[in-house]
Order: sequence, then C-alpha cells, then structure tokens
Amino acid sequence: MIKNYFKIAWRNLVNNKVYSAINILGLAGGMAVALLIALWVNNEYSYDKFLPNYGQLYQVWRNFNSNGETLTFSSTSLKLADALRNNFPEIEYAAETDGNGSHGLMVGEKKFYLNGSQVGSDFLKMFQYPMLQGNMKDALKDPYSIVLTKATAIALFGSVNVINKTVRIDNKNDLKVTGVLDDLPGNSSLQFKYLIPFAYMEATQAYVKQARSGSFGANAFLIYVKLKSGVSYSQLAPKIKNMEKGENNINAKNSEVILHPMRDWHLYNSWKNGVASGGFIEYVRIFSIIGVLVLLIACINFINLTTARSEKRAREVGIRKAIGSQRKQLIFQFLTESTIITFIAFLFSLLFVQIALTPFNALTGTTIGIPVQSAPFWLITISCVLFTALIAGSKPAFYLSSFNPVKVLKGTIQIGRSASYSRKILVVTQFSCSIALIIGTIVIYRQIQYAKNRPPGYDINRLLTTSSNSDLGKNYQALKDELLQSGAVQSITQASSPATDIYLHNNIDQWPGKFGGETIEMGVVYITGDYFKTLGMQVKQGREYTGIAADTLNLVFNESAIKRLRLKEPLSQPIQYNGNKMKIVGVMKDALMTSPFAKADPTMFVYSTYPQDNLIYRLAPNVNPHSAIEKISSIFAKYNPAYPFTYKFVDDDYNQKFSQEVLIGKLSGVFAALAICISCLGLFGLAAYIAEQRTKEIGVRKVLGATVSQLWFLLSKDFVMLVIISCIIASPIAHYLLQNWLQKYDYRITIGPGVFLVSTFVAIIITLLTISFQAVKAAIANPVKSLRSE
Amino acid sequence: MLSLQHISKYYQVSGLKNFVLNDLSLEIDEGEFVSIMGPSGSGKSSLLNIVGMLDEPSEGYHYFAGHAVHQLKEKQRSALYKQYIGFVFQAYHLIDELTVYENIETPLIYQDFKGAERKAMVADILDRFNIVGKKDLFPAQLSGGQQQLVGIARALIAKPKLLLADEPTGNLNSKQGEEIMELFRKLNKEDGVTIIQVTHSEKNAEYGSRIINLLDGKIESSKQL
Repeated sequence: MIKNYFKIAWRNLVNNKVYSAINILGLAGGMAVALLIALWVNNEYSYDKFLPNYGQLYQVWRNFNSNGETLTFSSTSLKLADALRNNFPEIEYAAETDGNGSHGLMVGEKKFYLNGSQVGSDFLKMFQYPMLQGNMKDALKDPYSIVLTKATAIALFGSVNVINKTVRIDNKNDLKVTGVLDDLPGNSSLQFKYLIPFAYMEATQAYVKQARSGSFGANAFLIYVKLKSGVSYSQLAPKIKNMEKGENNINAKNSEVILHPMRDWHLYNSWKNGVASGGFIEYVRIFSIIGVLVLLIACINFINLTTARSEKRAREVGIRKAIGSQRKQLIFQFLTESTIITFIAFLFSLLFVQIALTPFNALTGTTIGIPVQSAPFWLITISCVLFTALIAGSKPAFYLSSFNPVKVLKGTIQIGRSASYSRKILVVTQFSCSIALIIGTIVIYRQIQYAKNRPPGYDINRLLTTSSNSDLGKNYQALKDELLQSGAVQSITQASSPATDIYLHNNIDQWPGKFGGETIEMGVVYITGDYFKTLGMQVKQGREYTGIAADTLNLVFNESAIKRLRLKEPLSQPIQYNGNKMKIVGVMKDALMTSPFAKADPTMFVYSTYPQDNLIYRLAPNVNPHSAIEKISSIFAKYNPAYPFTYKFVDDDYNQKFSQEVLIGKLSGVFAALAICISCLGLFGLAAYIAEQRTKEIGVRKVLGATVSQLWFLLSKDFVMLVIISCIIASPIAHYLLQNWLQKYDYRITIGPGVFLVSTFVAIIITLLTISFQAVKAAIANPVKSLRSE
Repeated sequence: MLSLQHISKYYQVSGLKNFVLNDLSLEIDEGEFVSIMGPSGSGKSSLLNIVGMLDEPSEGYHYFAGHAVHQLKEKQRSALYKQYIGFVFQAYHLIDELTVYENIETPLIYQDFKGAERKAMVADILDRFNIVGKKDLFPAQLSGGQQQLVGIARALIAKPKLLLADEPTGNLNSKQGEEIMELFRKLNKEDGVTIIQVTHSEKNAEYGSRIINLLDGKIESSKQL
C-alpha cells in the first residue's frame, strides 16, 4: 500500500513540475530559515557547556543599594575572595582575577600585545579547559609562570611543546610556561590568550599587595567560585548575602553578595533590580519566534497550494472511495505524500543552510556548522520534519478525503470555491507575519540611524587610542613633543579610559546639598593636560584645566553629573572626593562615552599629573592618515622599543557600539526578505491556480470586450484586498512589539504612521509584481482556445 | 440477494422536498442481470448509488446479503461493500497517475491482499481480458474501449458477487459497446456474477434478464425477459 502511495506521490510531483518546485522550494526555504535559527539558538544556549563543572560555577556580584535603587556590580574585593574561600565549606574553590587585560608578551624577536587574565591558583581546577601540556593542579602555582593557549604558543614559539620555556612579560619579568590549553571555542564566555597567576600581580604590583589586606568595599577585582557538588546556590545564598554589611565603609555596607551561575552568563547579562532578568536571551527568543513564523508561512503555502489543487485530486479521491478505500486510508495516503514532499524539501533546506552558513557566520560572528555526526541533531530535525509534514499535510488530507464520491465523480462539486474562504484566512495570516517582519526591520534600521546621527558631543574623527605602558608613561613628554613636531599629530593626551568608555565608577563623598546617608556614584576619568582639546569637548560653564599645580584639587564635571548632584550654581562649589577637599572649576557639555542609545553618563574628570593607561591623540587635519600613522609608528618605536605599535580608531570603536543593533537589523532584514519571498512564492502558485480556474470566465469576458488591463485588475484586486487586510492586522501587533523593544533605549525614535504606510505600499507592490505575471498571462491568452477546451 | 423497501431520496430546496427516488421497493436475487432504464432525471443513477452504498437514502430500509445496511456504520458498510460489490463507470474513472496494472491492483490493496497474491490475481485478469500487453501503459495512452475494459477488470478483480455499471457503454462506439455487453453476459452466465446496469440503450438492456423502467423516482414497469 505504501509503495502505491509513493508511486502516486512521485508521479504527481513529476507531472506538475512548476507546482512541485514552488511547493518544495517554498517549504525548503522556510525549513532552512528555521534550521539556521535553530542552529544559532542552539549555539547561544551551548555557551560554556563543554566545561565539566558547568553547573557548579558562579561569578560573585554585588547588589549595591544606591538610595533605594539596586545597582549590580561585578567588581569585588580580595577580602571577599579570601572570606568566601576560607569560611564556607560549601565553596570548593574561589579564584580572584583582574578580568581581562592587554599585556606585552615577548619571546626573542617576537612581540605581541595580547589579552589575558591574571587568575587565582585554583582557576584551572574550576574551569577545566582541555589542557594539551602541563597539568591543571600545578600550572598556576609558581607566581612567575604562564599558561598559554595553543594559538598563543604557536605564535610565540611555533610549537605547543613549550613547557619550561620563558616568555618575557611587559618587558619586565620572565615567566616560565607551565601549561598549554587548547584554543577556547567560540562558545566560551571567558576569552583569553594566556593565564598568569594572580600571585604574580601581588608580587609585582604594590596596589594589589595592599588590596590583599584591604577591606570589603575595596572593589577592583572579579571573583569566580565553584560550589561543592551537591551544594546548590539557594542553600548558600542566605549565608553570604550579608557578609559585607559589618564593614565600616559605604561601598560594603550597602552591598549584598550574590552569585551569578555560569549557565546564565551569556544569555542573562542585563541586571534589573538586582536580578539578571534579561539580556541576549531576548534576541534569542525573538529569533526563535521568527523561525517558527517563517516555517509557519511556508507550511501555509503548502496547505494553500495543495488544497487549491484539490479539484485535480478530487476525482482520484472519488475513484478510490468507489473501489473500496476508507477515509482513513485516504488521509494516510495524503499524509504520506506530504511527508515525501517535506523530506525532499528538508534535503534542499540542508543544502540551503550549508550554502548560507558561511555568510551567516560572517554576519553573526559565530562558527556554526551542521552537526552531521550528532545523532540527537538528526533525531530532533527529523521529528521536526515529520511534525511539519503533519501540520502542512493534515488540512489537505482531511479536506481531500472528505469528498463525497458520487458528487466528485459527477463533477457537481465546486471545490475551489468552497475552500476559498479558509484559504484567504491562511493568506492573510501569512502576509501579516511577513509585513510585521518588514515593519520590524524598518523600525530597527531607523532606530540605529537615529542613534548614529546623534551628535556624540566630541569629535570621533581622526582620533586614535593606544594603550600606554611603563616605557611610554616614562617617556610621555618626549613622545608628545616629537609627535607634535612631526606634524602628523594635532594634539595628544592621556586618560584612565579610552574616549569610548568609562572604566571607573566611584562615589562622591561630600557635596553641597547632600542628604543624610545619600550616596552618588558616577563615572570617573583621570586625565592629563589637553584632554578636552584633543577630544573636542566643549566647555559649558567655567573653564577646563589649565595645567597649573592647583588643578589637582580642582574638578570638572559634565552636565549630567551636575544635574545628578542637584547643583544650581556649580562653579566654585566644594566637593569631597577620595578624602580630598576639592572645588568645581568647570562644566563640560555632555559627551556619549558609553552607550549612544542611553543618556550621557554623569562623569567627573579628575586632573592627574601621573601617567595614565590610554594615549588619545588626533591626527593633524590635512595629513594622509596612512603616512601619518607610519610616522607615528616610528616615533612610538623609539620610545617603546619592547612592543609593537598598536592603535585603534575611535570612530571604529564608536561604531562598534551599534554592532548588536546592526546585527539584529541585518538578521531581521534577511528573515523578512525570506519570509516575503516564501509568501510570494505561494501567492504565485495560488494566482496561477486562480487564473487557471477562471480561464473560461476570462475567455467569455474577453469575447465580450474586456481589455487586458480590466482583466488584470479583475484578477489582482482580490489579492490586493487580502494584503491590505494583512497590513491592518500586522500594524498594531508590530507597533506593540516594537514599542516594547524601543523601551530599552533612552534615546529612541517615535513610531509614526509613515512606517506602516511604507510597509503596506511595499507589500502591495510586491504582491502586484508577483501575481501580475499570471494575471497578464491569463488576460492575453487567446479566448478561442480557452473556450474551446470547455 | 438485496432488498430495498420504501426507499426515498430527496433534497430540501427552500423547504420543499425534491424527490429523486420516491417510496421505491425492489428485490434482486443472486444471478440476475438487471437493466435499469428511464429518461434523464428519473433516478437511475441515484438508485444505483444507493445499491452500491456510495450514497445513503433519505428514508427506507436497505438489506444486502442478510445485513441491514441502513443500520451499519461506515466501517462495516465499507467492509461489506469491498467484499461484495464492483463498480463500473461511464467515464471509466481510472486513476491517471497509475498504470493499467496498478489501477487494477488498487482495490486488492484496499482489501489487504498479500503482494504475491495480488500479482497472481492481476496477471490472471489481464490474461482473461487480453490486455497483458497494455499493463504498463497509463490510461491516457488507451482508447475509450480499452479504458472501460480496464475499468471492468478493476471492478471484477476482487471477485465481487454484484457488479454495478452506470452506463458502461455511454462513452463508447457501438462495436466497443457490444464487446462490453458480451463480456457482461459471459460474466453473468459463466461466473454467476449478479449485474445491475443503468443504460439508455434498448439494445444493451436486452442483454439482461430483467428490465426495470423508472419514471420520476418510481418503478414504472418491470419486465422479465
């Protein structure tokens, strides 16, 4: 019996090539989108799962009570690390780290600036990254040791057999290689090129050594912990929550200690009221929904095309019933057919995904592949395919099998007409989804454009950043003089943060008008002379630093900071910061140093006479950037011989801030285009069918004198109506969802009616283009032929 | 073999009953060859469809081979039908996508015959009908007479006790028609198949053992030959 069904299905496919192609390609497109999104979603969920102790690893965070508002910080003190390690039997290991920083690694003539972490000695026992050389127990014991990743080892030594060889770090100390890790996969939350024992930091940097004996609240480090197996966070949470409260220090007193599980690091990284409630997971959810929608659109095509063709199949149903088939056998037959078509479509979709993966990976910065060897993958996808076959095939199966044999064999049943109502609903559903995606794409792009056009408050063009180090810091004045003299550089300064970020946040101790017990926390940037001039920031009130000795006790704020401090007349007001009594001398206009979508961060600029970590300089206006950088490079090499010259353009960094939104915009654009393509493919098939069904009517009308354009209008207007209805349905839904999405941006567009009108217009044009081919073909056909065939 | 008692079939058209069959009773014995005649709209096909269980009467009692058909569920009716009845259509109604062989085989598939058995039965009937050479052709490649031959072969493949034919020669020329009628007579005489045919042709009607004339949904006359 099955063989018979296969035969019928196959011959039907072969005999109706255009229809089959539309059906299979449409379904394959939908499945490819769904599969691609599923692979991507799976990749997002796979983060860190390769680590053996995945479920027991946590990062320590603090919920800081700032006048009733809960702010969540990752920076913690070494005292907290020691207390967690020593006082809680539930905690197996704790490791402190400086996070991720750039250091110079040198082996012989080879020098690189690479990102790495300085980590507590138990780090590798907790995060058991696959080790190629050395062992995790001893690798981080000796303060003067280093663990490299495979790529780093090969870059430095050309080999991974490098145990006991030495690497010179920051041109200061020699470290012995004690281990080599395999390269970290793309789905690892922590990314580093090498690990250095935290003990090295303590041995070589005085402030770290002091921090070890410091108090709770001296927050400058990150802490990871591993709970003993069998211990859950909920058991430990109440014990650690208040452990900092006893300290006489506002940072500690207002902090609650919490743990953030590793399984949430990647997807839940946005904190609200002390809970990691959202983050990237929102996009994962949105795209999961889009994947399902696109697949649904493709299934609707399948249903529509199959039921539209039911007239052709009705006779077969009648005969089969007349020669003894039961209804359920017919249902089974049609489901077999849809399963065959779905499987063919699945094979095509695998091909499409394989082709699309390269550009998709480039777009999203992932390294996704089809997991050909994974049994669960095939199990899940094939069940999904079967499920799709069931969804897409059940309506035609139940509908077709319901025909009364007497009626269909007599030809008295008008199948196409009776089914048209439900078909219309399906078309409207399909187009509503597509149009909503179009609207979404337009709004996302407009929001990105809106934020890009927002003046950043400083000039990001021709501005460069280079990380400083001890040699550069020592030689800063000579470097500066020579750079300015060379004519390549217009202006140069040093600061504790690059122009596109604020690394440090701190509390203001005292200011006029402070309420009892109030704390105000704001961004702090330590700067040297020429900072505002180099960045192109503008004075709103008072003056900027002039470089006089007294400036170390003067302060410059930005507008937002003044607003937060509630100062009406800010100039000359006394401020106490870091135990120093200082006064305000100037207010700068706001600049967007963090998010271009948010309000400007309240920021305080502190004048410093010490070297800072970042050199920021602007190229002279009329030089060729390429030759200027060559010149600059040779000057840097003179004052910083141990390191290669590296730099970043600030405008690149600034545009990087849009990367997530641009990615989302591109993805939704691609998926919207695919959704509309698949919908149109279905529409094309449907229009072909309708035109065929109305051949006689068109012939008669033509004989009676209808023009081609009248006939075109006749055949098109129904579809255009459906698309307009779809727009009316899609617009409020899209408006609601997008309004929700926009809420997370302080600086956002308002959605006007224009977007909806444009989307409607676009949808109608696309619809007309799709169906006009069929409509015109039917309209220009010779009526004699169509009437004779009756 | 079958008995229809007070069978009516009507359609409600704006509250009025439009009768196709009106209180019709009919007995047919095993081995009979009945021809049903009558003008268009007299209810011939409706009667045949009811006898063949493709359609249900609006009122009345229908007994077939000792079963009260009007009380059976779809599944039981389908089982009864498959076992006893073969249907031949005026427009042949072969499945276009299947070959001659596969068209004839299909009813056997629905009756759960094993593959080898099916093969033997189809080969046998192809041989009997002299269409072995055509077994791999599709319906569109055959003449009308050949298509109807396939249609009859298909109707007979499962060895039904009752063959129902709705104007089996209506689409054929007279020579082809005669051949089909000869075949029917042979089936009736030699194999003992009960046949009920609907026809417009006096000549074809006379192949049967009884002629029933319908008019306005009632039996006008019944003549034993």
